Amino acid sequence: MQHASEANLALYGTGDLAWWRCQWIGLHVARCAECRRRADEYRADRERLRSLADELPGVRWERLAAEMAANIRVGLAAGECVAPRAPKHTIPTGWRVAGAIGGFCALLVLAWWLNMPPAQTASLGRAMKAIVNGPQWQARRALGLDDALTLVQASAEGVELRENGGALTLSQRGVRPVSVTLNTQGSARARYVDSDTGQVTITSVYAQ
Amino acid sequence: MRSKLIFALLTGAAASTYAQGFGQGFGQFQGQAPGQIPGQPALAHRIDLPGDAPVALVADEWGGSGATIRGSAYQLDVRVSLSLRNASQRRIRGITMTVTAQEAAPGGKGSISIPSLDVAAGETFPVRGDLHLLRPIGGGSGPLVEVSLDGLLFDDLTFYGPDKLHSRRSMLVWEMEARRDRQYLRAVLEQSGHDGLQKEMLSSLAREADRPQYGVQAVRGRAANSDGEQDLKFAFLHFPNAPVEPMDGVARIAGNEARAPKVVVLNRSPRVVKYLEIGWIVKDQQGREFLAATVPADMRMPSHSSSQILDDIALRFDPRTTVQSMTGFVSQVEFTDGGIWIPSHAELDDPMLRHLVAPSPEEQRLVQIYRKRGVGAVIDELKKFQDKPIPAVQ
Repeated sequence: MQHASEANLALYGTGDLAWWRCQWIGLHVARCAECRRRADEYRADRERLRSLADELPGVRWERLAAEMAANIRVGLAAGECVAPRAPKHTIPTGWRVAGAIGGFCALLVLAWWLNMPPAQTASLGRAMKAIVNGPQWQARRALGLDDALTLVQASAEGVELRENGGALTLSQRGVRPVSVTLNTQGSARARYVDSDTGQVTITSVYAQ
Repeated sequence: MRSKLIFALLTGAAASTYAQGFGQGFGQFQGQAPGQIPGQPALAHRIDLPGDAPVALVADEWGGSGATIRGSAYQLDVRVSLSLRNASQRRIRGITMTVTAQEAAPGGKGSISIPSLDVAAGETFPVRGDLHLLRPIGGGSGPLVEVSLDGLLFDDLTFYGPDKLHSRRSMLVWEMEARRDRQYLRAVLEQSGHDGLQKEMLSSLAREADRPQYGVQAVRGRAANSDGEQDLKFAFLHFPNAPVEPMDGVARIAGNEARAPKVVVLNRSPRVVKYLEIGWIVKDQQGREFLAATVPADMRMPSHSSSQILDDIALRFDPRTTVQSMTGFVSQVEFTDGGIWIPSHAELDDPMLRHLVAPSPEEQRLVQIYRKRGVGAVIDELKKFQDKPIPAVQ
C-alpha cells in the first residue's frame, strides 16, 4: 500500500487540509496503521506545542499555525513546478484547422442537400463547369461550333434534341404537330392528333 | 485497260446508288438487314416491358424503317408501332413509353405518351412513333434503339412504372385537365344543348387555327449574344385560386435571346409545394405574342413562404424577334402530399391565355372527333367517361 505524504499527514493531523482531500486522507488513515500512527504523532506534537505556547506570553499561535500551513502549500506548489512532466499528446495545428474546415464543409453539404432542390444543384454544377471550361467555350464560339452544345428545339415541324453532333427527333408519320412546348429544364414536347380516331400522342425529347 | 476503267466506273456508280437510294434497312435484334449501307453497323432494337407490367406486348412492327446518307451524316428513320393489351383489371387512362438511342444522342432520350385513353381490361391499343436519328458517319457500334415502359395511369389515378421521366406528374395533369374539360362541356350541354356544345367546338377550332406557333431553341449554359444584355421584368397574370403567386421576375434579354429567368414565388396555401411550372409568354416589337416556354422548378416550399426560381437556360427566338415584354403565369403546382393544382376553366378564360395557350389534349381529341363525326359523337364520348371526383389529388 502506498502511504500518504508527510505534508498531507501533517496537515491532516492539524485539520488544515481542504475538505475533499481531508476525506480522502481520512479514508486512507483509517485503513493504514503506519499513517494513522504518524498522523496521531503530528496531532500530539500540535497539542504539545499549544501547551508550551501557553507558557510563552506574546506569541499568537493561531496566526503562526496559519502561516506555517501556507508555507507548506507554497512548498508543494513549488515542487510541482520543478517536477518532470510527461509531454501532452496534441494534434498539430494544421490538422486541427483542416478538421474544422472539413466539418464545416460537411455541414454545408448536408444543409445544401436537405434544403436545395435538385434543379438548383444541377444549375450550379453547370455554372461551375462553364467557369472551368470558359476558354474552351470561347474558342468553340469563335469557330462557330454551336452544334456541339446541347440544344432542344421546338418548332411548327416538331421537337428535336441536338447533342454531340447528333440529333434525335420524335414525330408521328410525317404529320405536323398541333402544338409544341419547350421546357427550360431542357425538354420539348409535340402534340399530335390522329385525324381518324382523335387519339392524341405526345412525343418528347429530353437533354440530360 | 479501257474496259477495266469502264467496269470500275460502273461498279462505283452502282455502289453509290445502292448506298443512297436503296440501302435503306436495318437489322432487327442485332441482325444485318438486306440492303444495309456498306460499312455501317446494323441498328438493333429492343422492347423492354417488366414481367409484372399491367400491359402485355401483342405485336410490334418496325416496317418502313431505314437508313440513308445525307452529306457527311448518317440518318436513321425508325418507325415503331406497338400493339399493347391491358393485362390488368382497371381501365388505363394514359401511358408513357421511353425511347432511347444512346449512340445518336448520348444521355438524351425521348418518350411517346398517350393521354385520354379509356382502355378496359383485355382491350388492346396502339402506340406509334417515328424516331429520326442523325449522326456523323464514322465508327462506333450499331445504335441500339430501346423502347421501355415509363408509366401507366389508371382511372382510379393509381400509377405503375419506374417514372424516370416524371410521367406520373404529366399524366395526372393531363387526366385532371381532361376531367375538368369534360365537366365543363357536360355543363354546356346541359345548359345550352347541342347548339351550345357545337358553338364551343367551333370556338375551339377557331382558336386552334389562330394560335401562333413560333420556333424556339433552348441552349443550356450560355447565350450567343451576351453583348448589350439588359434585364427585363416579367408582368404576371394572377389567378385568385392559385396556391402559388408569382411576386417578381426578371430575365436577361439581348436581341432575339432571353436567358437566366429568375422568378420569386409565394406559397399562399397551407400545403408544402414540391414542384411548379410557370408559363412564359413573350411579346416582340412587332406585337407578336407567343408562349415561349414553361419554367419548371423542383423545390420544397413550406406553407406561406417564398422561394426563388433560377434557371441558366438561354432561349433563342426567330432572328426577326426582338423581345419587348414578358408575361408569366402559374400553370401547375404539385404538393408534397401528391396533390396537384391546375388552373380552372374560368381562370384560363383570360383572353391572352385563350389565344396563346394550347387546349388540353382531351379538348383537342374531342374537337377532332367533332370535326370528323359531328357533335353527336362528342356527346357519346362525354357520356362514355364516368368521371369521378378527385378530392385526393386536387
